[in-house]
Amino acid sequence: MLEIQSARKVFYKGQADEKIALDGLSLKLATGEFAVVIGSNGAGKSSMLNAISGALPLDVGKVLINGDDVTDMPVHKRAARLARVFQDPMKGTAASMTVAENMLLADLRSTRRRLRRGLNAKRLEQYRERLSLLGLGLENRLDTRVELLSGGQRQSLSLIMAVGGDPELLLLDEHTAALDPRTADIVMQATVRAVDALKLTTLMVTHNMQHAVDFGHSVIMLDAGKLRLEISGEEKTTITVPDLIGHFAVKTDRMMLAS
Amino acid sequence: MMDLIQTISSSFVSLIPVTLAQSLILAFVVLGIMIPFRTLNFPDLTSEGAFPLGGCVCGVLLAGGASPLTAIGVALVAGFLAGCCTAFIHLRFRIHTLLAGILMMTMLYSINLRIMGKSNLSVFGAPTVFDWAPFTQPGFPASKIVVAGIIGLVVFLLLDLFFKTEKGTAIRAVGANPDMAEAQGINVWVATIGGVGLASAFSATGGALMVQSQGFADVNMGLGILINGLAALMIGEAIVGKQTVVRQLAAPFVGAVIYYQLVSFCLAAGMPPPDLKLATGLFVLAMLALPSLRRSRGPAQARETIRE
Ligand SMILES: Nc1ncnc2c1ncn2[C@@H]1O[C@H](COP(=O)(O)OP(=O)(O)OP(=O)(O)O)[C@@H](O)[C@H]1O
Ligand SMILES: [Mg+2]
Repeated sequence: MLEIQSARKVFYKGQADEKIALDGLSLKLATGEFAVVIGSNGAGKSSMLNAISGALPLDVGKVLINGDDVTDMPVHKRAARLARVFQDPMKGTAASMTVAENMLLADLRSTRRRLRRGLNAKRLEQYRERLSLLGLGLENRLDTRVELLSGGQRQSLSLIMAVGGDPELLLLDEHTAALDPRTADIVMQATVRAVDALKLTTLMVTHNMQHAVDFGHSVIMLDAGKLRLEISGEEKTTITVPDLIGHFAVKTDRMMLAS
Repeated sequence: MMDLIQTISSSFVSLIPVTLAQSLILAFVVLGIMIPFRTLNFPDLTSEGAFPLGGCVCGVLLAGGASPLTAIGVALVAGFLAGCCTAFIHLRFRIHTLLAGILMMTMLYSINLRIMGKSNLSVFGAPTVFDWAPFTQPGFPASKIVVAGIIGLVVFLLLDLFFKTEKGTAIRAVGANPDMAEAQGINVWVATIGGVGLASAFSATGGALMVQSQGFADVNMGLGILINGLAALMIGEAIVGKQTVVRQLAAPFVGAVIYYQLVSFCLAAGMPPPDLKLATGLFVLAMLALPSLRRSRGPAQARETIRE
């Protein structure tokens, strides 16, 4: 379970270009719930995810994961409980290291790293198996440095890395936005499969309204750092793309195109 | 003409063993430069201060009658602490790594003087680790080659093992992508401080070995060693590559051996010693500039971490 209690974050406080990223945002996400987060540019979606992961310290408010207050916990400690995939494929992987080494790093996310050999035969076999689920052939490229992979392959790897180890919370920030439609589809399908199979508590940010309609148990809409709308249960199953677009104050061509 | 070539080559050849012994010792410094620059993506100048620090600590201990191994051990710890300080200054105060290194290097100069109490100290005749080389005469290059070579080989093998452990992989991840490393639960501070500390420990070990080899310690003994080390590293990387852990670790050793032979050759060929630093500097500059010269259009991307 995830709980955000009246989170507030102001950038450049007191200056002319003061920006309120989060404005008393409160949110509750039940265990196993898959929520899709929408909202216009600058609404505070990424800020919310950064506040949850610890990358963005809050001015006011609290973050609780499964009842534990993690507000003052540094990023690397929270990592034991949550996993992220970023929009930028470069951000989620170590480019100069191999596919297998990246898998190892994610594998050890919530355990103590010890002074013993990292990549052993057993682990390599596991990684091969997990990567083969993608159907991208990454399982045969364990020794390839990640910088030699395409953006889509890197992003798929990031996803497999994130869902491994059964995190208590999965944070996805427009993780298919930088990919071509076909690869985006592969990554999206893999996401949904993993989230369903592992019953992961998930927050997925997207600007693709079709995705918001098709996937997840609920839709959360942010606006100016606040929770503007929450659609769940029966209502979520019947919602349409035009319904969602209707809730935006400003409509962009991109949303229309995505519908 | 033939005569000239003959004298050059004979004086060069006669110096090969001495130069080899020296280069195997300085390989530790090159290793201490490689780890921050390459593995940790933390361009660092601490080596220039850690090398004489190791030398001064070792010199004082030898003069005080300590065993050569103890002297090296204490020098290593001193170097480790110096590296930790540089990394801490960078992390805590957000000072550029190069500036943090210059700060440490400058402060270490005073500390080194304090440690020795004077600017140089002779420890000629004190026992050294080179006395323990089997089948060789103490004091001759062969004993130094054997001992420095064995220590170097052990360090190389241990580091290769270490960087493939769970902990070692985590440290490499911090250099490759600190944000990602942090998101994977790695404590970036601990890894950086420990890694830079380890690197400086090797530089200090190089200093300690150098003092035992040459029989004296001098506060100025590190002057220009960083650029020499970088030149050696680049030669090593050009020869063995840097794509895998083993290659990256072998580069400092191979590079040091080749670089110092090259220097010796240039001197034998009549290059005035004062010009040496200029030549080395130009060489490093050329190596750094090469990628951007190769690309015909526009400035190169900053792939080399040393360039901004
Ligand atoms: N590091 C930062 N420094 C200054 N202002 C920031 C920073 N990060 C975010 N902001 C500001 O906070 C507000 C919310 O930004 P945020 O990135 O959370 O929006 P978002 O909903 O993710 O938008 P997008 O859909 O464009 O990704 C914006 O006004 C933005 O300019
Ligand atoms: Mg965003």
